[in-house]
Amino acid sequence: MILCVQTPNAALSVAAWQEILDALDAMTPLIEDVGVGTAFLDMYGADGDVASWSRTIRALLVPFVSEPRIGAGPNRFCARAAARHGNGTTIAPGEEAQMLAPMPLDALELEPDVVERLHLLGITTLGALAALPHGPFVRRFGSDAARWHDAARGVDRAPFIPRGHTMPIEAAMLGEGSAQSEAAVVFALRVLLGRICSDLERCGKRASALQLEIELENADTARVEVQLAAATSQEREMLDVLRAKLEGATFPAPISGLHLRALGLEEGGEPMPLLAGDEIDRASVAVTLARLEAMLGEPVRRAHTRAAHSLEERFSYEPFALPKRDPPGDVPAQPQLVPQLRLLAVTEIDVRLRRGEPAAIGHRVVQRCAGPWRIEEGWFASAVVRDEYDVQLEDGEICRIYRQGDHWYLRGSYD
Amino acid sequence: MLPARTDFQALKARFIAAAGAVRAAREPSLSTAVPALDQLLGGGIPCGSVVTLEGFGSAGCRSIAAALLAQATSRGLGAIIDNGELYPPSLEAAGVRLDRLLIVPAGTPVGIARSVDMLLRSRTARVVVMGAATLRAAVWARLANLAQRAGAVLVVLGGRVAAELSAVATVCLTCRIERPVLQGTHGLWGVFAGFELRAELRKHKRAAGGGAAFMVSLSRLASMGN
Repeated sequence: MILCVQTPNAALSVAAWQEILDALDAMTPLIEDVGVGTAFLDMYGADGDVASWSRTIRALLVPFVSEPRIGAGPNRFCARAAARHGNGTTIAPGEEAQMLAPMPLDALELEPDVVERLHLLGITTLGALAALPHGPFVRRFGSDAARWHDAARGVDRAPFIPRGHTMPIEAAMLGEGSAQSEAAVVFALRVLLGRICSDLERCGKRASALQLEIELENADTARVEVQLAAATSQEREMLDVLRAKLEGATFPAPISGLHLRALGLEEGGEPMPLLAGDEIDRASVAVTLARLEAMLGEPVRRAHTRAAHSLEERFSYEPFALPKRDPPGDVPAQPQLVPQLRLLAVTEIDVRLRRGEPAAIGHRVVQRCAGPWRIEEGWFASAVVRDEYDVQLEDGEICRIYRQGDHWYLRGSYD
Repeated sequence: MLPARTDFQALKARFIAAAGAVRAAREPSLSTAVPALDQLLGGGIPCGSVVTLEGFGSAGCRSIAAALLAQATSRGLGAIIDNGELYPPSLEAAGVRLDRLLIVPAGTPVGIARSVDMLLRSRTARVVVMGAATLRAAVWARLANLAQRAGAVLVVLGGRVAAELSAVATVCLTCRIERPVLQGTHGLWGVFAGFELRAELRKHKRAAGGGAAFMVSLSRLASMGN
């Protein structure tokens, strides 16, 4: 059974409405919020009957509204029509058409001009509309008319969309003594992770980051943020990454409290290949990344490329995150031998020209030259213009050089 | 409640253990993208090995390393120790999947050694590319041992690598660009399109025929970053 709860107070604020919805969570976790003042409660499978549910809801909402309107029906439309028709009305399954028939067209929440057209045709109740032949009615009033016709007969095909819950998933251990050894901290972390992973699994979610707050006996607080390479709800994976992150960390005083919070919550599970697939062991990669970051003091990166004129603008870096799994069946492309550009530290060089082209760099003669390619950056502000060349030197080296103003610079070398 | 991962892994293990099970093929060696060189190496760079690619200036060493990374990232992960010289668009042009390439910003020899140690020990990357850092013989021996156990390829790039490294390396190649290939006319309308590469196999622990030399020709249009 679906219950429709409506509050008569039209000036209700969004915050107050959210508090009402939170209070209704005590009835069922499946609550659809259709806007301030109206909510649907999915009571299928719940103990009790409509009368007892209505009593409980009224008791729950006493601090917020004096007299909520409650209707019940086998679907959302029937429940809403029941609430609109009269407080406490119930439309039993199988009696939808019969109960809805005398109700006015207002229940359909139609545009005024549509209502007027229907009134001109003598249709003023849901029963009269349901009695119309479906095909001609839809042809005359458009595709939305099919939904109106279904609703007038007590059929509602729209899915029930429960609201999301933003409950924080966290666990803390405070005031239970202090930890001076790594083993004691790891034990406490394992306990906290056990609680968090249990909550994650209960909600059907995975965390992609963890935040650990460490309270010390000298009243200092340290905060550790851990990005997981892939979202997970596995206690073992999280513990390995946390341990790797804390490896080598020292604190000025014994640890007196831990507060662990799961962040970056994602829905659902993770697709895993059963028969074959890529060779990435995600748990192992996550631990390795955390260890590398703890050792290097900065995260392992991955590169992105983009279309740009200058070499430096054609790529950027970001912390490494595991890619999505490939669909099975992809055939890897054949490897290609492509010259690789090494970006060298930009250094000014001495270039001699012949007929406007580089003829020698220092004491090394230029044998062949390609270019120039003009690169213009920031033309809208202070424009930086440079001409780039690829040159082959007499010793076989191929370099990327450029001229900016009257100066020449070495930018890279091909290898 | 989500299904337990352990149950899934157990089911997967049963499938894999079954006769005739479908599984991802794992090549015993990786291609250098140069058929003649692959032939000389007896099929390519063997997995579980340390490979040195030596050559000064423009030698083509990084091109071969990029081809190995392209294969590693087609099914798994590759890693490269970055000393600030990396130009990712070139790697992408060689077929490397950048979203599967770990770029490790290690600068000191100790940091490089520890990073490579972790990558090999965890079996995270199939191919690890690094510069020829100055490390003790015992460290090179440990890295070679880890590469062998992990079935990974450790590629070391350098002008001329130290004797300690050559001693533990499985394959030692010396590369040199014989002639760049210029496409189009000279100057503004010209573009370097590739090069002719000469590679000399100085050492191969697992195959006969060390010391052979040969030349290959490349032609890759508009691939040099302009």
